[in-house]
Formats: sequence, C-alpha cells, structure tokens
Amino acid sequence: MKSWHRYAIALVGGLTVGLGAAWALTGGGLSNGAIANGPWTTSLGFGTKATDPVTRAVVARAGLLALPAKETVYWSATTDAAGAPLDGNCRYRLSGKLLDARWWSVTIYDAKGYLVANPADIWSVNGANVALDAKGEWRVTIAPDKPADGAWLPGTKGQPFHLTLRMYNPGTAFRADPAKAVLPQIVKEGC
Amino acid sequence: MRDWLGPLAFGFILAAATAWGAIGAIPYGLMKIASDRLGQGGVNAMSYGNLANPARQPVVRPSPDLAYSSCPYDLSAGPLAIDVTPVPGRYSSLSVFDAATDVIFVRNDVEAGGKPFRIILAREGQAVPAGAEVVRTSHDRGIALIRLLLKDPKEIGGLDAVRRQSSCATVTKLK
Repeated sequence: MKSWHRYAIALVGGLTVGLGAAWALTGGGLSNGAIANGPWTTSLGFGTKATDPVTRAVVARAGLLALPAKETVYWSATTDAAGAPLDGNCRYRLSGKLLDARWWSVTIYDAKGYLVANPADIWSVNGANVALDAKGEWRVTIAPDKPADGAWLPGTKGQPFHLTLRMYNPGTAFRADPAKAVLPQIVKEGC
Repeated sequence: MRDWLGPLAFGFILAAATAWGAIGAIPYGLMKIASDRLGQGGVNAMSYGNLANPARQPVVRPSPDLAYSSCPYDLSAGPLAIDVTPVPGRYSSLSVFDAATDVIFVRNDVEAGGKPFRIILAREGQAVPAGAEVVRTSHDRGIALIRLLLKDPKEIGGLDAVRRQSSCATVTKLK
C-alpha cells in the first residue's frame, strides 16, 4: 500500500468519525442536567443564550425555536409512571388537576418528535378542552382504539410514543420548584 | 505498523476538527432549514402558516394548538420592522431568534397590555427610526415567530383575519 493510500483512508475515516461524533454528541436531547418530576423531564435551558457550542447544538436539535422557561416550560415523557417505555399498543390513563400555568397542553409525538396520522385528527389535549370531574380532575385515555367514554388521545399500534407537556406562562410557585410541582400522571392500564 | 502512525494521527486530528466544526454548524444549518420551510412568503415577510398536522411539520415537535406566523429575516438590506397585533384574551407571543438559534426578544400579549406594538430589529450601527423600540442583534439572519394559542383548531377560521394584521417588512423610511 502506498503512503497516500493510507492518508486517503485516514481522511475518509477522520471525516466519518468526526461527523458521527458531532451527531452523537448533540442527539441526546436535554436529559443531561435536566429537572425530573415523575416520568417528566425538562430543561430550563431552552430559549436562552447557550453558553457552549455543544449545548446550543443540542437545543437546536431537540427544540428549535423553543421559548425560554419564563414564557413556556416544555416537559417531555418517554415512560409511564412505572418507568416502562410508552408503547402505542397499550392503553394509558393520563390524568391530573389543572396546572399552575396560564395555559397548558399535552401533545403526542412519535419517538422522533413528529405528529403521526390518526383517524380522529387529534394530537393534543389542553386546559381549555378537558372536562373536570367533581374533584377537579381531568382524565384522558391514550390508546390505539377510541375508549367507550371520555377524552381520547390516539396512540399508534406498533410504535413507541413520546408526550410533551407545555405550560405557558407558568406560575411563580411552579417556577420556584418545578421538580415538586404536581404534573399529570401517566398510568398504564393494559396492552 | 509504523507506516500508519502518520495517517492515524492525521485521522484523529481531522476527526476532532470535523466534530468541532460540525457542532458549531448544526444550529446555523437547522435555522437555515427552518427559515426555508417556514418562509413560504419569502424573506422579510410574514407567512401565516397553516396549523401543524402530520403532513405539515416544518419544525420538530410542532404544537397542533398553535397558529404560527413566521418572518424569516435578513437585515443586510436594512433594519426590520415587526408589527404585532395580539388577539384579545388569547395567549400570543412574539419571539425573535438569531441565526445561532439564540432567542433575542420575547413579548407576550399580557406584557404588551393586549395592545398592538412595533419593534425594529437592527444590526449594531444600523440607522433606525427615531423613537422606535429597537432590538439589536449581531446576526443578519434569523426568524421572528408569532404564536397564537387556539382552544380548538376550528377557531383558526375566526381568528385568521386578526392574526394577519401582524406583519414584518424592511424599514425603508427613517422618519
């Protein structure tokens, strides 16, 4: 093998490894240093001036054009209350009380963060369209098939899913300690 | 094996430099893609996007509850005037992002007192209209985004006329 052959191999290998490393280093979402609350995690780093290039790239990939925490807090869940990954084949109870924010919504996405077609054209529930029971609680069923009664957020069979909880203009009590705030429960009822 | 020492060292240094360069380029690249997808009406003009659905997702994790209006901007020809008209009783906000994805301005409807407002977005040193509220940035390009919350997607029909009162345009007169 000639010398330039070895350098050519190193050139291709170096570029490939470099690009792969950049993609891998910035693809973890904002789980590092995040605030956890049950199955929900958030980072208050969205929408702020990033302090280093890696954080900026991570934020750009996970939440491009996201608002700062004073305006909106974005919570993400990829597991249920028991820690099992959210599975589109299963039925879940998503429930809670009204949240400490001017407005909130829960949206269902695929594992890459995109909306998936469903026959009902429903991808979210929000504080304005959930019904409260006598105890002031709301309840939504996440399942591939429409439940007999109550609100429905369609899951997709054969696909894992992620949930994003948005809280617009969160209250000062919430912002003082987001890790202790009461957030919606995600409980698996069956598969 | 000794023949490989030079190429291996070269490969390692190249990999590190490539990774560093790519990490720095990712935010700019993603903003460029988002500008192209959101800016159906071109640059320095407000596009009143349709609601997000599986067939229309210009950015990752779009909210189906929000009507997004977006203004991809380029300040190389002069400052940009952004006029925002809030919808009474609704959460709405203007946020301005620079080419590096950093947010440089946010104001919601409550902070605006529910009233229309105008800001001038300008590079350092660019002349701006006297008396205007000015936001300075160190980048030519970026995206200004208006979010309007809907209780139900069907509401967009009734609210579309109001949201179309918000606009953006290059400043041509300084007085």
